Amino acid sequence: MNSSSFRRGWRSNRAVFFFVSLFVAGALIMASRAGLLTPIENVFATPLNAISGAFQQFALRFSAGLGDLAEFQTLQSRNEELEAALARLQAEVVELREVNNDYARLTQLLDYVTGTQAQEFLTADVISVDQTSAIRSITLNRGSRDGVAIGMPVLTPQGLVGRVIEVGANASRVLLITDLSSFVSARLQTSRSEGSINGQVSGNLLLTFVPLGETLTPGDIILTSGLGGNFPPDLVIGQVTSVSIAELYQEAQVRSLINFDTLEIVLIMTNFQPIDLSAFDEPETGN
Amino acid sequence: MGHWLSIPILGLAAILGSTFIPQIRVFGGQPDLILLLVVSWTILSPLEEAITWAFVGGILADLLSAAPTGTSVIGLIFIAFLIDRIKSQLISVNLLILFGFTLIAVAVQWVSQSVIIAFSGYTIRPFEQFFYTLLPAAIYNVIFVIPVYVFIRRVKRGFSPRRRSRRLVSE
Repeated sequence: MNSSSFRRGWRSNRAVFFFVSLFVAGALIMASRAGLLTPIENVFATPLNAISGAFQQFALRFSAGLGDLAEFQTLQSRNEELEAALARLQAEVVELREVNNDYARLTQLLDYVTGTQAQEFLTADVISVDQTSAIRSITLNRGSRDGVAIGMPVLTPQGLVGRVIEVGANASRVLLITDLSSFVSARLQTSRSEGSINGQVSGNLLLTFVPLGETLTPGDIILTSGLGGNFPPDLVIGQVTSVSIAELYQEAQVRSLINFDTLEIVLIMTNFQPIDLSAFDEPETGN
Repeated sequence: MGHWLSIPILGLAAILGSTFIPQIRVFGGQPDLILLLVVSWTILSPLEEAITWAFVGGILADLLSAAPTGTSVIGLIFIAFLIDRIKSQLISVNLLILFGFTLIAVAVQWVSQSVIIAFSGYTIRPFEQFFYTLLPAAIYNVIFVIPVYVFIRRVKRGFSPRRRSRRLVSE
């Protein structure tokens, strides 16, 4: 039996063909999870990411065009609302500048460098969105060559986007805070109460574990608390839209100011290193 | 030829799936072009080619995803074998059967991906995701399968040798 007839032979046996195919696919998953495929994945992902980047620009323009058409009728009333809000906010800005000046003077006196002043950012374009419905992640056009590392927070001026979970040479993948696996230690801006932000299937955010006695009202701003060391403190996460009471704690629906489906440009905080707490894990006793 | 055609067609589908398609997402559901292409190719081609399409499509989808490479492949292999098995019992494939194949494929791919993603350490909530992502995705895919199937049929015809030329060769 020559080699081509042997190949035809085992492929004609459906059961063998099926199990061989499944075995190869299973081996791919195991190798990918073990990181053995990373160099090959990087080689193939590089051109795909480059083309995706170009397509993403068109996709976002297309989406924005459709959105503009749909919202044309409401634009006028929104414009009036925004003008009123702008006037109000300008007054607040003047007030806050004064507060900021006072703060800067006091900080200088105490020789205290705040985290905000020490933050360093790298801008990155979103080049693709995860098409697997079970995972919410995006791919950025910056990688290890640009100094990106796993764990770095990703944000926009509107608030926190997520954190880097995979890094290639010139691309990186970010797990969004709206993913089900994402947990962020959070704090209410006004009452300083602590809680935890978790992504929801709907793409919204849920604030949980807020103690029952604490004041939690719609409109409250949620910030990162810095607890756990995965994110720096005081990054904006979103705003409380509704509050409910669980048995032992309060919960709140939180709306991020970011539209995660139309993200175009983000900032990677390059000088933040997540704190590794694994040293405090209890060693296995072997019992 | 069918094996090689998979690379440009599925490559384009993977890129569209991670750029344009998320812009038309309803709730958590969106059409899965790679899945629809594999379903259509399996209906119209021998199993060997369908498996090539399952591997190429799955790997391309996973390269643009946070899931481990191979996550999408397993489901697509199941789908290819299942459709191939069912179609061998049928005289022809009509619209209802096409929709049936699509719904089976969406369900198989969702279950397969969810299990692998859960084992990879990600959180899944099957009950919520069933209503929020699977149902809209199923509706979307049933709508999109018609143009995708027509496209694949045209591609197949375009690249297959014509009957007339075959007759001439036999003469």
